[in-house]
Amino acid sequence: MPALQDAGYRDSIRATGGLVALTIAWAASLALARFGPGLWGDSRPAATWAAVIANLVVGVGWIVAMTRFLRAIDELERKIMLDALAVTLGAGWVVGFGYIVADRAGLVPVEADIAALPALMGVVFSVAFLMGKLRYR
Amino acid sequence: MRNRIPGLRAERAWTQADVAQRVGVSRQTINAIETGKFDPSLPVAFRLARLFELRIEEIFLDEQ
Repeated sequence: MPALQDAGYRDSIRATGGLVALTIAWAASLALARFGPGLWGDSRPAATWAAVIANLVVGVGWIVAMTRFLRAIDELERKIMLDALAVTLGAGWVVGFGYIVADRAGLVPVEADIAALPALMGVVFSVAFLMGKLRYR
Repeated sequence: MRNRIPGLRAERAWTQADVAQRVGVSRQTINAIETGKFDPSLPVAFRLARLFELRIEEIFLDEQ
């Protein structure tokens, strides 16, 4: 029987490692796509395209790694994670569309930075995940 | 869903961690199942049944 948990633990560690590696790679490729043009100048659009495409390809890899991670982790952890992801998606969806509607109606006096949305979603996910951990403690 | 896991565990002098290791889940999962906060998947329910040598319906009690 202990082999059951050992195998699950090994799968979980492998999937977590893959997710961490892909997260680092995605962040690095995002930084390259964002700041690369400033390094090599506007004269090399092909390099900028390559950086953007690399970021998208690594991003697809990250999605696959996240799916594998969710399959590999313990089922209670998976529930906590999926609940937190659902709240995060909902918050991003509601706030995003709320902002679009308010902006189109001319109710928003300042131009919001799109980067604020993923930052908000990160905070919402962290809070929802922590609440889930506390709930099933 | 109510269950008899705490009693079955106590009869065998097993800790939550012992059951978790034998079933292949985390100790937190066993704790959440015992307190009725979390209903296990069917595979985990079958593993618990095999572990305690009982049928699933002898461990988990339908409250409806």
